[in-house]
Amino acid sequence: MKKQNFIILWIFLFIAIFSAASHADEIELNYRLKWLFNTSVAGDIYAEAKGYFKDTGLKVNVREGSPEKNAINELELGHADFGVASADQVIRALDKGAKIIVLAQLFQVNPMQWIYRADQPEIKTLEDLKGRNIGITFGGNDETVMNTLFAKAGITKKDVKITGVRFDFTPFFKRDVEVWPVYFNSQGVILKSKLEKEGEKVYFFNPADFGVNFVANSVITSEKAWKSRPEIVKNFMAALLKGWEAAMDPANETDVLVAVKKLDKESNDELRRLQLIATRELIKPSGAVKIGTIDKEAWKQTETIMLTEKQIKQPVHVETILKN
Amino acid sequence: MLFRRIYQFLIVYSIGLISLLLIKAGLSLSDYVIPGFGLILETLGQVFDTYFLDVMNTMSVTVLGQCVSIAMAFGVGIAGRRSSWMGSFIKVTAYNIQAYPIVALAPIIFILLGDGFISRLLIASMICYFPLLLSVLGIMATPVEDIEHFYIITGRMRWQLEVKIRAFENLSKLTTVISGSATLAMAGTIVAEFIAANAGIGYSIRVALYQSDLAKILIALFMIGIIISIYQGCLETLGEQIKTRWSDSKGGNTR
Repeated sequence: MKKQNFIILWIFLFIAIFSAASHADEIELNYRLKWLFNTSVAGDIYAEAKGYFKDTGLKVNVREGSPEKNAINELELGHADFGVASADQVIRALDKGAKIIVLAQLFQVNPMQWIYRADQPEIKTLEDLKGRNIGITFGGNDETVMNTLFAKAGITKKDVKITGVRFDFTPFFKRDVEVWPVYFNSQGVILKSKLEKEGEKVYFFNPADFGVNFVANSVITSEKAWKSRPEIVKNFMAALLKGWEAAMDPANETDVLVAVKKLDKESNDELRRLQLIATRELIKPSGAVKIGTIDKEAWKQTETIMLTEKQIKQPVHVETILKN
Repeated sequence: MLFRRIYQFLIVYSIGLISLLLIKAGLSLSDYVIPGFGLILETLGQVFDTYFLDVMNTMSVTVLGQCVSIAMAFGVGIAGRRSSWMGSFIKVTAYNIQAYPIVALAPIIFILLGDGFISRLLIASMICYFPLLLSVLGIMATPVEDIEHFYIITGRMRWQLEVKIRAFENLSKLTTVISGSATLAMAGTIVAEFIAANAGIGYSIRVALYQSDLAKILIALFMIGIIISIYQGCLETLGEQIKTRWSDSKGGNTR
């Protein structure tokens, strides 16, 4: 009996030592997303789920974001090693002395768009915005984008009615607000499908169609990490972009939706599928576009817009921190 | 009382601010994470007027919300003071409902009533109301036997007299609870504004949060703190005066 116990103890010790040794080679990293787990972050989820990070010797904790969980703050405080931030966050942080590097631009088309019902005249030119009741999240980047569009078209605040909005869509459903800001691939899909069930068709108003290219989510790290751990940065990015490439491949759709569903239990299967299709249009608008490509001109335009809108005090030369 | 409130707040705020600046210096953080003192002052110059008006806007809802909640708490407290079936039913209901988080109900209120003044007032009143109610119920349900006994024996006891005796005999407790509830009413209003309203300092904090602008948030906190300190100081001073007059009229003894 004693001999048996002794052997079992040795087996346990062997397993413990072996598993500790196998994990010792892995480098643990924290990756802070910009928003909650949903199909907008399908590539991030898929890279982790398929073990792409593990294959490069990394153990990556992919963490949800929110307005309160800011990736740039976490990079500086050492709580995260990589993160996702929108261009306006990056440019604001540079203006205030933050040392960060942009490694990839995830969205080639900004998902920040406006939805409106198709029973209203289509917005074919910016002039068509006149006389409409437009929803804006005050302080959000949609405010900056809309102000730029107004300036471009010479529209004053007297020509339109602006209504401050939040996450509650009731004013849009009640038609109190006609043109409502949405993330095309998340809320846009939900609203479109709800209204279609009621027999209503919708249009999306995309600022990029009118020459305003305001960059959205991008992968960032600290300047310190970029300089001191180039191999880790390279491996992380290789695994992450591999995840995104695979997640955006229609052939992997079922697999991707299963991975997303494990973390996003709020939406139903059909909604997630539609959201994934919409996300694909924004991440890889054409076969020729390589995922993660940084559109330097769009970044420069974003900086110019923010400078004009007095959201930053001086030029930050954002092109100097774009590493792709 | 008023000045003591203000300098106590200034001490607490200064300690908080200095701690933040020490963390900033210790960890070599940029102004994006924790703004430097210069940036805070610069931002103060930019937003002072707007934020002052925002705080006053919030304060107006707070004062009104507090008045509503005091009236409601006294109404229910007086109705529930009896040891009858109805009295105990009101008490039990009040205790159970107060366990419900008002913040969770706030989005429903905004959906039903919109993001205007009424929603803010309702949420402020509800957050402030329940702690007040519990205190008022406690006070109103506890007889002041040595005084009430005389009126009961002589058959002169009426409910108005009973309420008056219990209120004035517990004036210290009541004024403390009412002045303390000002903070809750302010917090309630700010929570409401933060969640969904389109006005007030809570809304401005939300906008600053969207822009990750901690300097604006620190200024908002300063202005909220100073205004609520003044308001609480005024309430306490008023309470002291009422107590003194009551004490004088009784010949110098309050509980």
